[in-house]
This record gives sequence, C-alpha cells and structure tokens, in this order.
Amino acid sequence: MRIMLACCAGMSTSLVVSKMIEAAKAQGKDDYKIWAVDQTEIQPQLGEFDVLLLGPQVRHIQRKVRKIVGDDFPMDIIESVAYGTCNGAAVLKQAENLLGVK
Amino acid sequence: MSKLSGKFEDTLLYIAEKVDDNKFLSSVKNTFTVFMPFIIVGSFATLFKSLISSKTTGLAKWIPALEKLAPAFTAINVATLGIMTIPVVFLIAMYLAKFNKVPEYITGIVAVAAYLSVVPQVVTVIIDKTTGTAAGVPSAALGAQGLFVGMIMAILVVQFFSMLMKIEKLKIKMPASVPSGIATSFNTLIPILITLTVTSVIGGLFFNTTGSYLNEWVYKVMQAPLEVIFQSPVGILAIVVISQLFWFLGIHGGLVISPIRNPLIAAAIAANIAAVGAGQTATQAVTYGFWLNFIVAGGAGMILSLILAIFFFSKRDDHRMIAKLGFFPSLCGISEPIVFGLPLVLNPTFAIPFIFNSAISCAIALFATNIGFMQCNTVDTPFGVPVIIGALIGHGWQGVVVQIICITVCVFTWMPFVLISNRQAKSQAQS
Repeated sequence: MRIMLACCAGMSTSLVVSKMIEAAKAQGKDDYKIWAVDQTEIQPQLGEFDVLLLGPQVRHIQRKVRKIVGDDFPMDIIESVAYGTCNGAAVLKQAENLLGVK
Repeated sequence: MSKLSGKFEDTLLYIAEKVDDNKFLSSVKNTFTVFMPFIIVGSFATLFKSLISSKTTGLAKWIPALEKLAPAFTAINVATLGIMTIPVVFLIAMYLAKFNKVPEYITGIVAVAAYLSVVPQVVTVIIDKTTGTAAGVPSAALGAQGLFVGMIMAILVVQFFSMLMKIEKLKIKMPASVPSGIATSFNTLIPILITLTVTSVIGGLFFNTTGSYLNEWVYKVMQAPLEVIFQSPVGILAIVVISQLFWFLGIHGGLVISPIRNPLIAAAIAANIAAVGAGQTATQAVTYGFWLNFIVAGGAGMILSLILAIFFFSKRDDHRMIAKLGFFPSLCGISEPIVFGLPLVLNPTFAIPFIFNSAISCAIALFATNIGFMQCNTVDTPFGVPVIIGALIGHGWQGVVVQIICITVCVFTWMPFVLISNRQAKSQAQS
C-alpha cells in the first residue's frame, strides 16, 4: 500500500510519517510505502499513491484536492489529535480504513 | 457566542480556500516557494563575503589573497537576488499557463519577453563627469524593484496570450499530414507576435506620455508604498495577527498570507544587501530571516515559549507529555504537534496568547532594531534551522539576545493561561 501525506512543505507531516513507518514495521507490514510531500506535489505525483492524507493545517484545500484526485479516491484529513500527538498507529489505521484494508 | 464564532470560523476558512483557489495568488505563492532557496543562497553569499573575503571581519584579515574572492561572492548576489524579477515572471507565467491549459514553457518565455519589452533598453552612465547612455537593462528592472510590475505584467500577459491561443482564427491551417509538433510551433507564432507588439507599444506610449518607464512608475506608486506599509509596525503587526487568526482555526496562516508577504520579504532582503553593498545601512527590518527568528521563533505563535511555560508551571500530565513530544520539532520551528496535540486549535483558554504572542515578539524585535541595537539582516536562514543558531547567522549575537528576550517574555505571557488550564483541569476532575 502506498500512502502519501501532504501538508505545507511536508516538514511537520514527515514527523508523522516516521511514526507511521515504525507502526507499519511493528505490525509486520513491510511492503507499505509512506511518504510526505508539499501540497503542490499532489498533482505531479498522481498515480504514485493509493491513498492520500492531508495534514489538518491545510484542510482548507480539501475541495481543490478532491477535484485533483477525483470523487471516489480514498482521501481524508488526518484526525487532528492523532496528528498532533504523532500517533503513527492511529494515522495508519485511518489510511487503512479509507482503503478498506483489515 | 458559539454562533458568532462559528460564523467567524466559516468566514476565515472561506478566505483561506479562496486565496488558495485563486489562480493568480496561487501562481505567485508557488513561484516564491520555488524561488525561496535562491533568495537564501543569494543572501548567504553576503555571509561568505563578510566571513571570508572581508578584510575587517573575515579570513582575509590574515590571508589577504582571499579578498580577491569578493567579486565572486558578489556575482552570486547578482545572479540570484539581482535578477530575481526574470525567474519570478517566468515561473508565475508557467504556473498560470498550467491553470489556463496553454503551453507552459512558451508562455513563460512570452511573459519574460513582454516584461523586458516595457523596461528601459539603455542605462545612464557617468564617465569623467559626462553623462551618457549605453545599451543595457538597468538593475532596477531586473532586481527586486521590478517584482510587482513583473508580477502584474506576468498575469496580464498570460491572460491575454491564453485568450489569443484559444482563438481558432489565429491558427495557421496545416494539412493533416504535417506532424502536430510543427503545427503547434506555427500556431504560437501569431499570438506571440500580437502579445509582444501590444506590450512594447503600450510600454513605449507610456514612456512618451509620462516620461517614465512602466516599471519605474509601478515601483513608485505601488511597490514602494506597499513596502513602507509592510515594514511599518502597524502593517507587519496586522499581518502577523491575521496569520495567527488562521492558525487558531488550525489553518497554516503563513501559507495563506504568503502571496503578499513573500514578494515583500524578497524585496526587503535584496534592498538590505544592495544598501550594505553600496556602503549604506540596511533599513528593511522585516525579512524572511526576521520572520523566522522573531515572529515564529519555535513555531508560529511562539510555541517554544509555551512549551517552556508548561515545563515550568504546569502540573497537567497530558500537557507535559505533549510538550515533551513537541520540544525538539519546536526548536526547528515546527509547531504542529502542540497546535494539534494540545490542542491550541479552537481552544478558547489559549486563544489570546496564541493569536497575539507572535505580534508581541515582533514588536520587541522591531523596537530593538529601531533603537539601533540590532541591525537589519542581510543573511536569511532557511526554515528549519534551530532557534539561537538561526538568529546568530541572520542577526548576529544581538539577534540571539533579542530572540532570547522574545522567547522569555512570551513564556510569561503564556504563563497565566497555562495556570488557568491547570485550574480548569482540576475543577473538571473534582466535578
């Protein structure tokens, strides 16, 4: 599964990414690819990711991003407390739920 | 009350969305995001000059040969900050072309050509007290003083050019057997010709009727006044508070205000470097380095100060846990763990300091600049350089002192609210 996170510059989100990678490894999901980008990188990387999560600080761009990725694409705003506390497992779960992975 | 704040939230969210959605503002924003490293590198060349090739402050004091490197470092200045209007015009035009669905590279070049068609083609030179002219584009047209006219021209030219590109009648008809690449190249010819003719004629007419060039006029009536407002305490403090209002809603305030802020901070650092290069004093206080060192030290809203206030004064385990988690990111200016984890977003207890602390810190740093304690900087540091180190590189030891004062003062402005939140938690636990 390829999970892409987007925020402003992708810096704070990269904190969450490292925690998510840890959580995925701990659950034995070594084939997961998880990374963070600046929000302007969403369009160029279209097709490279299976699920897209937006940092809560860029939630105002949700509608624009929805138009870029398409109506049915699995995408969501990261739940803000999980984001703030860098709860990698919770954010990973959120991504899996979007894709319907158990 | 909740109805009112709900409406307030909706309005700000709407503004943030519109700013992001607007193709002109968005193109400007993306352009400066791409160009920012060049501004920082350009300003670092100034640092090299003073640390390496300067005879008074650098290694050249002991190794005189190093002085010969000074022109090389100056060349980096010129190649980045000194000509910044050209890449900025090109990039804005390219981003806008993408929105308008017209060929990006051609549109970028058209915009640069159109811009150069309205600026002077000669420079005034004085040799042996005789004034004459020589071929050349003045640095005022290429550098930061051209930014606003360049941005406006890029937008107008791309809109005009895109319109022309969509008129079927302007397309040269080719037989179907001609490769499509050739047809495309011919089809851009007429729109380019019309665009450049229109801009150069307008530029020429403007000069003939007013006696000044378009770029000089826009600088005088628009950019210079905007710079004055932006650099004034009222102007910058208003922008800082607006930015924090967005952060209070959990929206990246710096991102929302960047289309207006970034051109002005780029112009400011360029002006400072030019002034110092000419042996004068730098006068533009608010630069990118100033913003990072004194407005968002430890994260927008002076988050490092909040973390310290929690360490010193809070007995709440939940807050102490988040503060520990957010401490190292905060040293590098990343505030999100605290903003969303504590949370500060829409949290009425911390609303007042979260919205106003950056402005308080900014005012302190402006004061330190105005009384002459701290110089206006000529070196911008990139985002992510830890506090203290960033202040040292950008503003010298005086910058470190001012930053420590700012952070300390804000610890005390956060403190009462940390205590309130402790009391709230206590009374909640009792009931």
